[in-house]
Amino acid sequence: MPPESDPAVRPALPESDAPVRPAVGLLQLLGTFVRLGAMTFGGSVQSWVHREVVERLGWIDNKAFLSGLTVAQVLPGANPVNIALYVGLKLRGGVGAVVAVVGMVVPAFCVILCLGYFYRGYGHLAVVHFVLAGLAASGVGATLTMGIKVARRLPRNLMTGLIAVSVFFLVGVLRWPMIPVVAVAIPTSIAVAFLGNMRAVHVR
Amino acid sequence: MSANRLLALMLVFSPLSILSIGGGQATIPEIQHQTVIIHGWLTNDEFADLFAIARAAPGPSTLIVALIGWQVAGFLGALVATLAIFVPSSIVMYAASSWWLRNEHSTIRKAIEQGLAPVAVGLIFAGMVIVLRAAHAGLLALATTAAVCILQSTTKISTYGIVGAVAGTYLILFALLHYVA
Repeated sequence: MPPESDPAVRPALPESDAPVRPAVGLLQLLGTFVRLGAMTFGGSVQSWVHREVVERLGWIDNKAFLSGLTVAQVLPGANPVNIALYVGLKLRGGVGAVVAVVGMVVPAFCVILCLGYFYRGYGHLAVVHFVLAGLAASGVGATLTMGIKVARRLPRNLMTGLIAVSVFFLVGVLRWPMIPVVAVAIPTSIAVAFLGNMRAVHVR
Repeated sequence: MSANRLLALMLVFSPLSILSIGGGQATIPEIQHQTVIIHGWLTNDEFADLFAIARAAPGPSTLIVALIGWQVAGFLGALVATLAIFVPSSIVMYAASSWWLRNEHSTIRKAIEQGLAPVAVGLIFAGMVIVLRAAHAGLLALATTAAVCILQSTTKISTYGIVGAVAGTYLILFALLHYVA
């Protein structure tokens, strides 16, 4: 084991700056996204992706994941597909992006066609609906975990908190349409960050 | 004739792909409008059935277009509809991500990254509330949500372990509720 990978040295670095980017094999990438695409339910796929790719495998750090997730949410396209594309691209370039997206879509495509075929026979069974409701609830749990972890890493200042809470309140509680809210919130938030950085440079 | 149907599927779903800002949930009403009302490919009840299947299936719920494509033009229809809904948006995402990853040290990217973070957090929590409300979540669902969150925060148990455990627990609960009581 080379000395620079000694675990005793690493905790001194801030997590987001860790220069650790393990080389991920294409097959490993494919396998991970095939499993994620075939086994995660309930509209919370990206939370399970965070769990696997950031928390368990350590392929990318929280900061990189979060910015990718926001880009994935803001741009057109299904969020799970977009986040798979981003992770694949970051780890293995264009080929990685294609591999991750194929892994996310192809098994899910096969499963949904099979379900479509069998649903007419079993869709009325109460047990099917009961278990699916449970899986949806566990997806919300995964989202909660991710939300807490990510929120704790936000810089502690008034504007950041205000923006996060307003977006949550307008979209989640008042049910305003997401696009206009985000169209105002993102430029505002970026401008605030940019001006804050400029001021920090001038003070120094 | 079959080629015409494939072309129609492509022409309906690829513009929707570019317009599907905010992910799959936001696109579903427009998919319904196009396929049920404008093209008459399926009835409202059939659409509701397919939507239930899409929600039950793993992966992105936008895959409902695969079921619609199948209904319209068989397996090729499913394939064409799926490609039409994912490829255009993926090209946009690819271009944006490439720029993003190439400009790792630009001050503008740094400001964008810092600015996106609080918006992302707001959207994550908002999405949670929306899913819970849409599912008419009861006590059991909230308990499941809390249990999964605690398990994930305190252990390194794998995603698949959690999904399996929840499915197993619900099966046992169902059996207890229906055959013991």
